[in-house]
Amino acid sequence: MTAVRTRLSMLVALTLFAALGVTAQDLASFEKRMQVRTLGNGLTVLMLERRDAPVFSYATVVNAGSAQEVPGITGLAHMFEHMAFKGSDQIGSKDWAAEERALRKVEEQYRAYESARGMTRPDEAKVEQLRKAWQDSIAEADKLMENDEFSEIVDRAGGVGMNAFTSSDVTAYFFSMPSNRFELWAYLESERFRKPVFRQFYKERDVVFEERRMRTESSPFGRLFEQFVGAAFIAHPYGFAGVGWPSDLHAFSASDAEEFAKKYYVPSNMVLSIVGDVNPTEAWPIVEKYFGRLPKAPAPPALRTVEPPQIAERSVTLRETAQPIYMEGYHRPAASHPDNATYDVISMLMSSGRTSRLYKTLVRDQKIAAGAAGFNGFPGEKYPNLFTFYAITTPGHTPDDVQKSIRAEIERIKTEDIPAEELQSVKTRVKAGLIRQLTGNSNLALQLAMTQTLAGDWRELFRDVERIDKVTAADVKRVANVTFTESNRTVGKIESKGAAK
Amino acid sequence: MRKTAAVLATTLFIAGLFTSESVLGQVTDHREIKTPPLRSFSMPQPKRIQLDNGMVIFIQEDKELPLIRGSALIRGGGRDVPAAKAGLTGIYGQSWRTGGTKTRTGDELDQFLESRAAMVETGGGTDSTSVSLNVLKGDFDTVFPIWLDLLRNPAFRQDKIDLAKTQANTAISRRNDEPGSILNREANRLGYGPSSPYARQAEYATIASVTQQDLLDFHKRTVHPNNIILSFIGDFDAAQLEKRLRDTFSSWPRGPQVAKPDPGITQPKPGVYFVTKDDVTQANIAMVHGGTDRSNPDYPALQIMNEIFGGGFSGRLMQRLRSERGLTYGVGGGVGAPWDYPGLFRVQMATKSETAIESVEALKGEVARLVNDPVTAAELSLAKESILNAYVFTMDTRDKALGQRVQLEFYGFPADYFTKYPSLIQQVTADDVQRVAKQYVHPDQLAVLVVGKQSSFEKPLSSLGTVTPIDITIPAADAASTAGGSNPAGMALVRKVQEFAGGKAAIDAVTAVRQTASRNMVTPQGPMSADTVTLVQYPDSLRQEMTLPMGKVTTVLAPGASFVITPMGTQDLPGSQRDQAAGELKTEVVNVLKNVDNPKYTFTTAGTDGTAQILAVGAEGSTVRWVVDPATGRLLRTIRSGQAGETVTEYTEWKKFGNLNFPTAAQMTRAGEKAGDMRVTNVEVNPTIDANAFVKP
Repeated sequence: MTAVRTRLSMLVALTLFAALGVTAQDLASFEKRMQVRTLGNGLTVLMLERRDAPVFSYATVVNAGSAQEVPGITGLAHMFEHMAFKGSDQIGSKDWAAEERALRKVEEQYRAYESARGMTRPDEAKVEQLRKAWQDSIAEADKLMENDEFSEIVDRAGGVGMNAFTSSDVTAYFFSMPSNRFELWAYLESERFRKPVFRQFYKERDVVFEERRMRTESSPFGRLFEQFVGAAFIAHPYGFAGVGWPSDLHAFSASDAEEFAKKYYVPSNMVLSIVGDVNPTEAWPIVEKYFGRLPKAPAPPALRTVEPPQIAERSVTLRETAQPIYMEGYHRPAASHPDNATYDVISMLMSSGRTSRLYKTLVRDQKIAAGAAGFNGFPGEKYPNLFTFYAITTPGHTPDDVQKSIRAEIERIKTEDIPAEELQSVKTRVKAGLIRQLTGNSNLALQLAMTQTLAGDWRELFRDVERIDKVTAADVKRVANVTFTESNRTVGKIESKGAAK
Repeated sequence: MRKTAAVLATTLFIAGLFTSESVLGQVTDHREIKTPPLRSFSMPQPKRIQLDNGMVIFIQEDKELPLIRGSALIRGGGRDVPAAKAGLTGIYGQSWRTGGTKTRTGDELDQFLESRAAMVETGGGTDSTSVSLNVLKGDFDTVFPIWLDLLRNPAFRQDKIDLAKTQANTAISRRNDEPGSILNREANRLGYGPSSPYARQAEYATIASVTQQDLLDFHKRTVHPNNIILSFIGDFDAAQLEKRLRDTFSSWPRGPQVAKPDPGITQPKPGVYFVTKDDVTQANIAMVHGGTDRSNPDYPALQIMNEIFGGGFSGRLMQRLRSERGLTYGVGGGVGAPWDYPGLFRVQMATKSETAIESVEALKGEVARLVNDPVTAAELSLAKESILNAYVFTMDTRDKALGQRVQLEFYGFPADYFTKYPSLIQQVTADDVQRVAKQYVHPDQLAVLVVGKQSSFEKPLSSLGTVTPIDITIPAADAASTAGGSNPAGMALVRKVQEFAGGKAAIDAVTAVRQTASRNMVTPQGPMSADTVTLVQYPDSLRQEMTLPMGKVTTVLAPGASFVITPMGTQDLPGSQRDQAAGELKTEVVNVLKNVDNPKYTFTTAGTDGTAQILAVGAEGSTVRWVVDPATGRLLRTIRSGQAGETVTEYTEWKKFGNLNFPTAAQMTRAGEKAGDMRVTNVEVNPTIDANAFVKP
């Protein structure tokens, strides 16, 4: 029976492979449509023509995220992302010369206020006086700005999907525009990084604090995530949740943000990708004209600190009125490691689809979890990170219940060989998954820019799939045994106190 | 050739570095940039086919990727399910696929499909259900018959129904964990009324009541060709696919048409509503009243109004409340206009608890401004240009064009609706916007909902008006119905408490009780002590004399009058306080035990707390939760939701007075913090009562 099934699945695999060979979605055909240039200032630009409708999308990915932060400026990478919507000296100002002076005054007043506030025995009356002076200087500076002019220009021009995100690894900016707005877009996008102006900084700091309250403080999962990464990483900045610690959010200044931008927002540390209705002959000169204005600057220093091997199992437990959540994470190498493909396969085996290990055991058979998964790249992938298991319990079941079953599944992949057809099913889905991803201007723009940034070459999007195709059952077993050990583990859970209310 | 151009460009660029910017023609103002006209294009439209049996089919070729996607969209969904079975479509949507067909189990389908990276999935929503497929083109011939089999012959195996129920119950148990989901759900319930098909929620009891026969019946009722719109897009030959679909479906006979149900909307009573949620640092705020639907010819003007008011970064709400005041990360709102049922006008925002009241007032201000002040020419032009210049994105892919045609077909709109729409936007004037603002937005009709920890608000919520608390306690699995009603376990438990307190006969014999107690209270003014004498004449008269440091305060609650006597004089109790006091009196321990057999009182078990049982007590709209030791019937503590949050009264001591057991010591906490304690020093049962005890002096 097994032999017949294996042969049948091999047949399926060959047919699929053959089908893939004649499609237009392989690396070779993509290479024909892609153009890549590095500008004189070091900026890498990818351009892919897709000429259906007169629209295009772009993504700018900066190779800096919250892992670039240190205590005192946690949350700053994300804060700068907010600032990148506030315009420049040419966009968003009523009178730049006057506004520049006013903003410098704000910084001076803030410095005075901060140093008075930070004294061991602060003079409360003086602190309050300086705080008022600082707030007054902000009111004066605000008079000289055009509120949200940058986003208004994009909206008026028909831009859609304007947004950005900051992860542990990168910061990404993106939107889509009608293609007759290409030059306007090039001006706007280069402008925001050529000379970002930190207007409304302290008001926006309040907004970011609201984001912290929403995502972290008022959310059971948010609270758990922050504690979990803090426990799993005792040295490396992956241990800081990206939104920043409250003390830092209340303290860092516009000058701090300017320092951060000068250091990390340099063209050689950035990738720009453009996908859609663009004519390269006309588009490249525009790209060069506007993005060439970004001043060349030295590449930022590499992050020094490496998380040392974990030698003690760690655990954090939140006791809440919310329903239980369970996580356990194991340290694994960065995505650049040769075993990365094997880790991807383990994640698929554990959690992809209804034939996955965790679904079959925890969700379908034992009904102790409504959902369960094991995934890579937590909280980031650029540096050594975590392979993390995660489960949502069903009513009446506890974190201990799901822990037991997750550990049993881990034990299985450490001791038993993955059957050939299960491995093949994973590979088939990975290949098909790549094909399914290769559509949509905005989706492609972001994916290509992210891959270029994190893997050094957009082609790795395809090569990743080829590497996964070569993973063996022996690889899975070896990597599982190295990774899923007791001392390499951090547990995070929410235990429910009392009945569901 | 390209290489030379690149070298040339680089040379020019380097040269440019050493010359003034004007030589390169550097732009310093975005208005200098010319915008050429947008290249005209038209997205290919799908072919529409209608069979004699009423089935509508849309076919669109798309050869960019070697994939084929198809879907059967079927009329009939959650809004067509009776209230007692709320949640049925979720169970149906899941177990349709996982329960397999008559010839293949769901697990067998999982194996077959996933090894080919193929997907056949089912789903259920408010107005429709669907069966879809997504395959690599080479697998279409093997997977199409499976998709067809699942569409026509689902088995709804019991084990997968049970699995779907576990999933549904998990969602119910978690629905109060995040303040945002509480806000969305409760705002909807306020806007439509909890019994409307558009606001009903699944409960443990309704999920438990769903049977395999219910699912088979729903399938039989809805899956007919005249209720179905098929759509296919991908790398196939359109003529061949059309032939295949005609051959497959033409002989299927018509069935009963699924009609739209009555929306069953109850307008919210305007006012302030509050949900206690203590584990948050933000207040979540929503304001709702009725909206309109898409068929309304005022829709284009409303869309402009919505864009000016709550549209993205440039809208007034984001500008004022986020950019200018830093009060929030997310705020938005507008008049909702769904395709085929009435929407809601809705505004929503989250802000730190300490700016909750300020934010409610700011939102109200913006709503008033929208109605009273005309929009400026600049606002109007920005809104129009944003919508019109972005219009290309509504139809920039074959997929979107197909989706639009399906949508228009499903909701009965003309096929050229989207092509005609831009000119309607173009015609909207500032006067139109002002007119629709006045017609569709009514500040005095708003129901304001706040979810959060009231003790952290900068002012009490009652500063905004009378507050109606909303109890979001999840009813237990054995609750009689979502509308209330006792359950047998609840009746049994309250009788046990009755026994513990002295027994039915002794309690029935009580007509009045006078208690003397000493209290310590934590107040906004600081800690305070008071001696109290409380007289209750059952069922509805109360006189409490409190000796405070500043003098004696007497509160009287009676059917004829409700007032407070202080050293300063006598005052009537304000309506809200009287109502609250009356509710507390109805749910006072002895009063409840005297009304065990009164049908107006309901007793429902509502889960457990450690080894104790929770009993939900309802008395004509007033509610309280009792936590009871099921072994002895001892009432351990009561939990009351009120304006100031949740108050827990822990009864630490019970003593016998005659043949009755009374609580003689209690500790109170409010929103998790200590609020006071009480020690009863004397209890008189059926004392003599002064004729004027409840009469206003």
